[in-house]
Amino acid sequence: MKSRGEALRDYVLRRVLLMVPTFLGITFVTFTLCQFVPGGQIDQIRMQLAGAGGGGEIGGGGGASVQLEIPEEQLARLSEYYGFDDPLPIAYATWLWDVVRLDFGESFRYSEPVLRVIADRLPVSIYYGLLTAFFTYGICIPLGILKAIKHRTNIDNFTSILIFVGYAIPGFALGAVLSNLLAVRFEIFPLGGFQSAGAEELGPLAHARDIVWHSILPLIAYLVSSFAVMTMLMKNSLIENMSADYVKTALAKGLSWRRTIFVHALRNSLIPMATSVGSLLGIFLTGSFLIERVFNIQGVGLLSFEAIQARDFPVVLGFLVISSALLMVGNLVSDLAVAFVDPRVRFE
Amino acid sequence: MNWIRLDPITRKRFERFRRIRRGYYSFLILGAAIVLSIFSPYLAESRALLVWYEGHPYLPTFEYLTMETFGQAPPPAWGMEDLETEYLRLQSEWRLERDLYERELNQVGSDPAAASALESRYPNRSNFVIMPPIPWDPYQNDFWYNEILNDVQDRLSADEGAEAARLARRDGLLDLAEAIETGGIDAMISDPERSPTGDLAGLARTGAMPSLADLATVPPTAPDFRRRHYLGTDSQGRDVASRLLYGFRISVFFALFLVLIGQLIGTVIGSLQGYLGGRFDILSQRLIEVLIAVPFLYVVIIMAALFSPTFWMLLGIMALFQWIPITFFMRTEMYREKTREYCLAARSYGASHLRIIFRHLLPNCLTPLVTFTPFAVVGAIFALTGLDYLGYGLPAPTPSWGELIDQALQLENRDRPWLILAPFGALTVTLVLVVFIGESVREAFDPKRYAKYE
Repeated sequence: MKSRGEALRDYVLRRVLLMVPTFLGITFVTFTLCQFVPGGQIDQIRMQLAGAGGGGEIGGGGGASVQLEIPEEQLARLSEYYGFDDPLPIAYATWLWDVVRLDFGESFRYSEPVLRVIADRLPVSIYYGLLTAFFTYGICIPLGILKAIKHRTNIDNFTSILIFVGYAIPGFALGAVLSNLLAVRFEIFPLGGFQSAGAEELGPLAHARDIVWHSILPLIAYLVSSFAVMTMLMKNSLIENMSADYVKTALAKGLSWRRTIFVHALRNSLIPMATSVGSLLGIFLTGSFLIERVFNIQGVGLLSFEAIQARDFPVVLGFLVISSALLMVGNLVSDLAVAFVDPRVRFE
Repeated sequence: MNWIRLDPITRKRFERFRRIRRGYYSFLILGAAIVLSIFSPYLAESRALLVWYEGHPYLPTFEYLTMETFGQAPPPAWGMEDLETEYLRLQSEWRLERDLYERELNQVGSDPAAASALESRYPNRSNFVIMPPIPWDPYQNDFWYNEILNDVQDRLSADEGAEAARLARRDGLLDLAEAIETGGIDAMISDPERSPTGDLAGLARTGAMPSLADLATVPPTAPDFRRRHYLGTDSQGRDVASRLLYGFRISVFFALFLVLIGQLIGTVIGSLQGYLGGRFDILSQRLIEVLIAVPFLYVVIIMAALFSPTFWMLLGIMALFQWIPITFFMRTEMYREKTREYCLAARSYGASHLRIIFRHLLPNCLTPLVTFTPFAVVGAIFALTGLDYLGYGLPAPTPSWGELIDQALQLENRDRPWLILAPFGALTVTLVLVVFIGESVREAFDPKRYAKYE
């Protein structure tokens, strides 16, 4: 018989090993997708060189026509550098070796390592991710408890309608309405962005105020549709526990109703909430490029979206690989979190 | 068709669904809206539903009728032949003739000679046009404000005051028509205070003439009942109400097709996983793990950026991911059901595996399919709108809610509330209805009865 610690170790090891083929699959699919595209990497470099050589006259003004041709020899050197000459499996293997060493290449747009470009945008995304998580848990858990206790009363029905209407509203569309009405028409809130220009020089307190002021509308957009799932999960799980035998027993033994619910039933019903812990990892990184675009928040989501528009494939690939890896790790974290709070879970 | 006959449990579930009023009425309203939207060409279209001309009915929906058919003069600047009739203009022209005829008939009194002279002057007085409720098709650019100003200006410059007044009256610019008829217009135009450019456009800009002041010269224009743009126009002068309606039709049918395909594939694969287990299960689970690990919307955008897809291509791309969630539920359901005795009995009779899965097991595993489908529809509409907003959805100029939201977020349109409120309202109402249906279906099919302590 293995101890719980050994079982845990073996379980984590097995899960990590299972991630390897999945990770290979993800990277291979995305790599293949990005290689065979028109306007892909080689075209991109060609355009850049032509643009630099022709003094940015791609718009077609001026008298002299822009020379888009690059000497064959130079093109061949480029291809070799980026591994386009190699057959796909070798090119993939070369790239994968780089990825494993966390070298995602250099962004076409920013001429900086991809990892640096993404890391630069990370604080903004983490800021919104943390706030969203804080408010989601902070509102959903108490609301779920309230709804469970007041099951089928007016409060329950009313909040149900409210959170389902909220669930139906796409955050980015609500964000668009809020920013057009409250920011533009009535000028109550700033139009967008993470902070005002030059906010750093205002002193720490005013700076913080400025950031908070900028984040109210985006936060509403992030939060509006996120209540329903978790609130209902909390409510249903608590209700289920409230009708369980051990609660009946506790009540029959004369324990107060309040203590029975809030100590015994509540503790068990919080277990399902742990399943979503892992997905927080993903929120921190990706956020939502829809909402970030509406409010012009320079987070990782907007970066990755603009990378597609600009055909900046190192960033696209880097983003895909990192977010997929985080999602897989997040799933493992979720499972471990559940096992951590619930000793009945067996590792097999 | 035997299995379609509802067993008592399913019938009871439908009964329960009907009793949940919020969901049932949402279902009726949404159903009616979807059926109505199929008839969009009769609700929002620039062609008339019916033209009554000299005692004969014409149905422009079914045939191409040139301007000559109804003796309509082509716009002065064009002069081309074989143009299709402008039915909205025809309607106001004929309506004006009838009004003028009736007004002058009252003045003439009972003089038969004068009455017959009037009749020959207004030959179209008894013709009429019935337009659809929204007389605009979703692709039509309405630069009417420019056109009417230019047309009236052209007549004025050519010293055809009566014709200019008639045009102004036709389009409801009554004070302009009166100013032209009384001759006061010359004084107004030549006054640089009131018209700096010395023409009607200048008069419109300074607001010296109330009816002209309402005319913005460039779209997007605000909602305007007189011009029958009930929700205004977008940046290209297209009617917002018409685009909303067609956008609804496209979004809803896109979502329904997508969910249908996704649930079909997902059900088959999930069932096979659960029933067969073993190697097929393990391999397909790995594939699914790959697919759920990549950010779905992001990959669809990459593909859309590469292929600029049509309706069906986009449907195909999104279906690549749509089938996954339902497999989890079908898989676990099948795992559980296949150990039951009736399954063993069927196998002992020699029923084939496929027959057991689809004839015997599947009808007992439908609850997750039914309860998750409405929420899948919500997700599909949401995804399509998001893609359209980002510019990677259906190709322009397809009417779409997401594209309207994108327009509303352009800097120059930020202060035009109708552009954002219209698509937001339509989107929210539609999704709320679907969510209410979904919630009630879940309640009806999967009710949890709880003990309750007071």
